[in-house]
Amino acid sequence: MKKGTADISSNIGAVNRRSVLKGMGGLGLGLAAAGSGFLASRRDAAAAESLNYMCWEGYNAPSILEPFQKSKDASISIDLITDSAGGFAKLAAGASREFDLVSSDSPWIQRMGPAGFCRYIDEADFADQFAEFYPQFRAPFEPLAFEGKATGLPTRWGWVGPTVNTKFDKLETWSSYAPVFDSAYKDKICLLDWGDWPIMPLALYAGVNPYEELDAAALEEVRKVLRAAFKNTRAIVADLAVAQKGLIDGSFRALIGGGTYATSALRMKGHDYIQSIVPEPKNGLKQGIIWMEATGLIDNGKNSQIEADFLKYIVSPEVAKQLAITEATCNLVPNSKAEALFSEEEKKALQMDYMWTAWDNSQFHTVAPNIDDMLAIWQEELAAR
Amino acid sequence: MASPIIDASGIVKDYGAARALHGVSLQIGTGEFVALVGPSGCGKTTLLKILAGFEEPTDGRLEIQGKDMRGVPAASRPTRMVFQKLALFPHKTVAENIGFSLKLQKVSKTETDSRIRTMLDLMHLKPDYLERYPAQLSGGEQQRVALARALVSQPSVLLLDEPMSALDAKLKKSLQAELKKLHRELGTSFVLVTHDLEEAMMLADRICVMRSGHVVQVGTPADIYYRPANMFVAGFIGETNFLPVTATAATDGGMAVTSPLVVSGKTTIASEHVSPSLSAKGTALLVRPETIRFVKGDAAPGEWLLDGHVEEYFIKGASTQYRIRVQGLDAAVIMDLPGSIVLPAAVGEAVRIGFDPVQAFLLSE
Amino acid sequence: MRIESKSWNDPVLVATVAPLAVVMVAFFLVPLLMTAVLTFQTTQYYRLVWTWDLKIWTEVFSKPHYWTIMLRTVTMALICVVLTVLIAFPVAYALATRLKTFKTQIQILIIFAFLTDAVLKTFGWILILDKNGVANWLLMHLGFPPEMLNLLFTPTGTMIGMVYNLVAYPIFTIYLSLVRIDRDLVLAAYDAGASRFRTFFEVTLPLSRPGLYSGAVLVFVLSLGAFLEPKVLGGGTSPLASELIRQSFETRVNWPLGAALTMVLITTGALMLAACAAFALRRTATTRRPA
Repeated sequence: MKKGTADISSNIGAVNRRSVLKGMGGLGLGLAAAGSGFLASRRDAAAAESLNYMCWEGYNAPSILEPFQKSKDASISIDLITDSAGGFAKLAAGASREFDLVSSDSPWIQRMGPAGFCRYIDEADFADQFAEFYPQFRAPFEPLAFEGKATGLPTRWGWVGPTVNTKFDKLETWSSYAPVFDSAYKDKICLLDWGDWPIMPLALYAGVNPYEELDAAALEEVRKVLRAAFKNTRAIVADLAVAQKGLIDGSFRALIGGGTYATSALRMKGHDYIQSIVPEPKNGLKQGIIWMEATGLIDNGKNSQIEADFLKYIVSPEVAKQLAITEATCNLVPNSKAEALFSEEEKKALQMDYMWTAWDNSQFHTVAPNIDDMLAIWQEELAAR
Repeated sequence: MASPIIDASGIVKDYGAARALHGVSLQIGTGEFVALVGPSGCGKTTLLKILAGFEEPTDGRLEIQGKDMRGVPAASRPTRMVFQKLALFPHKTVAENIGFSLKLQKVSKTETDSRIRTMLDLMHLKPDYLERYPAQLSGGEQQRVALARALVSQPSVLLLDEPMSALDAKLKKSLQAELKKLHRELGTSFVLVTHDLEEAMMLADRICVMRSGHVVQVGTPADIYYRPANMFVAGFIGETNFLPVTATAATDGGMAVTSPLVVSGKTTIASEHVSPSLSAKGTALLVRPETIRFVKGDAAPGEWLLDGHVEEYFIKGASTQYRIRVQGLDAAVIMDLPGSIVLPAAVGEAVRIGFDPVQAFLLSE
Repeated sequence: MRIESKSWNDPVLVATVAPLAVVMVAFFLVPLLMTAVLTFQTTQYYRLVWTWDLKIWTEVFSKPHYWTIMLRTVTMALICVVLTVLIAFPVAYALATRLKTFKTQIQILIIFAFLTDAVLKTFGWILILDKNGVANWLLMHLGFPPEMLNLLFTPTGTMIGMVYNLVAYPIFTIYLSLVRIDRDLVLAAYDAGASRFRTFFEVTLPLSRPGLYSGAVLVFVLSLGAFLEPKVLGGGTSPLASELIRQSFETRVNWPLGAALTMVLITTGALMLAACAAFALRRTATTRRPA
């Protein structure tokens, strides 16, 4: 019973963390994405090899795909993800037989291991690539490992924490999430409508580590903290542009569930008074969250060399730099050699001087064991609001 | 006319730059049945709408029952209308349709019921029709309901806008007879708009023939038929013949006429056979088809003769129609003969036809 | 010829109806059945497990918050129907009877507004309804206190968006009903002694019922599926059914739950429509021409 525009509206609505649709500009992006996919698929007939690639926006930029297609005489068909869990569910439901590669949130790449359709990375084959990574990402890289084998390579990353507009608030004010519950911030808090993202930081503030197995008492704590947060919440926003606009004009004092993903593109455009930080650890619990995207290979029976070549290509310094700086969002990349390619401005926008501080004070984002319970609680508390 | 119920004088109606009525004057007597006749676009319906109050005249004066009707809305006039397409309310039952005006006047329930019953009897409608909807009735029944709806409020003038134009010929005939009977019984003034002169002649006391926003002739059916004002009125009645003539005034008020096509020469037409609005332009003799005969032997005294050949004939049952092509006449001469087993002439045959000019009628264009 | 007198043995009738029947079965009935079947399954580790049990339905009927959202959705839809019809009727009436000179131009404008993408229009309303948006700017310049209206991210904002996005439907259905009313019927009412006011209520309004009903049904059905407006203009804080269903399908990857909630929404909508249809048919059936 959706309206005639359901195809586009679902794009907007379904957006998880990456809603890059900038209001009206989003349409153009969507069309461009559709167009590039169309062009790519048309080359099928002529190209020697073809790749089916499921990815988030950004990875599908023509400037990234076209040089590879040319040099390898390959054609790449794109299937854009609008929701990480949804993308995984699609693969799990049988689409894994169709696809060769996936770029998604790291927990979902790691999950391809237990799901049984992961083509594991031969760490020896990728030794050159691992050597170029920052030490934190080098093999064996725990977050992407399953039974000691690598399920994929990290491709983009950043941190989730308070997004502060220093024109309105001091950075110290947000050394903890306390203002979210302060009546002085009533109707000034924005939760990002990106699945589990807004839940995790609030659970951490409540003293619950959501990435561990939770008992009923811990879930009750999560319920309480969500209920308290909803009291001050002005809006739950899926569209990044709307959230960013509110952050700039002060109607949102913080975007909960966001972080560098929500702020670095603003900084790139000159809004350097906006910063993403991670809160101080609270009662020994790290309050920040590191999110990461990874790219993995799918075991679909074909398993040709060209898929591995594309994976090497996508983590190479030049491509990594392109992945890092896009029109809609700017993100860090694990390749240390790429750092030399960034301008001073870009480094500043990416808050590179702060990245290891954030890393040290953060949890690593994985699929929480009790995520469905927490999402159910979220739905219930929102309905009761 | 002692006291006309409707007195329209110099009615002008403009629609933008187009003038639909050019100063029409017409009086209708109490209890009279008047038909407005003319081809489509002649202004007859516009005139009716002005009488009903649906249109305001651009100029002129309209009085109904001696009262100036300027600015008086339809709702406040003593007229009721029966519409061309009947305009029965499709969402109301027959009873609700008929009783609508009574409901608006807040007439009591019992009074309403009894008046609806009266109407039902008058219109020969069955009582179990009352709860039906118009769409569940036949065309003729709908017609009666429309009449009942208009008459139930006992209007002084009933306006009928071609209400029978959509009915088949047989149904039309029986309803025409009923309408005439109804008029006689009720004594209400009826104004009927129709393009069918035959219908008008059957029903009306007087006929007002209109053309291009002008009244051409007002008169009794006999006047219209036997003494048409001009060729337009005569031609409107039905197929007939016009023989161009030159006319000069004769003694005793008659006219002396001659035709270059007729050798026998001059004939005098008595004054009662001369149109009162005769002008010099296009004078002609109106020769009715039934007055023409084939002349096989000698001509009758005073008879005018024409020579031609048979172009076509049509056997119509009671009569046979011949079309004779005559040299010097634009249109074929039409003659209606009594039907007979043996046809008097074949197609292409050279014939001589004749008529008595004294019985013809002199008129102009 | 009465269609009832035909039968399934009539090859022409069967041949005429068959393509439509196939399309309806393939694209409507089968998906609906699949959705119904899905509700009796469960998911584990983001995969569907064929179980055939009532776990999901127990969940749906034991958690009141699903019903809170359903009730809110139906309430919003009904309010939206009332508001759109109240706005649409005068507009359609003016188009049909008064504004004949500019009728075409106005219709073209409405069609353009109607055809413009709903996403664009909905985001456009943010610029108007925002605290520092056009509406407050105008009011401030008209002498009202600054930031007087707080409409963005409220249920009122949702309603404004829904009414705006849907109002064209009843405008056109009512307009089509109004222009089909024979002008003579109005004249006949005047002739019978009715005032303009009385004529409107006795003739015009009852005869525009088909347009009113079909417009209302369209708005109601589309409102039940309202998705963008609560999310973009409502700020997501008062979610409606379609957002709940999307969350269940996409974020929670709980297809059986999403399917069950879909069935609840479809059933609720269908039952309400059936009730309204029974009411409407009772009032209009007899005015139809018998076959």
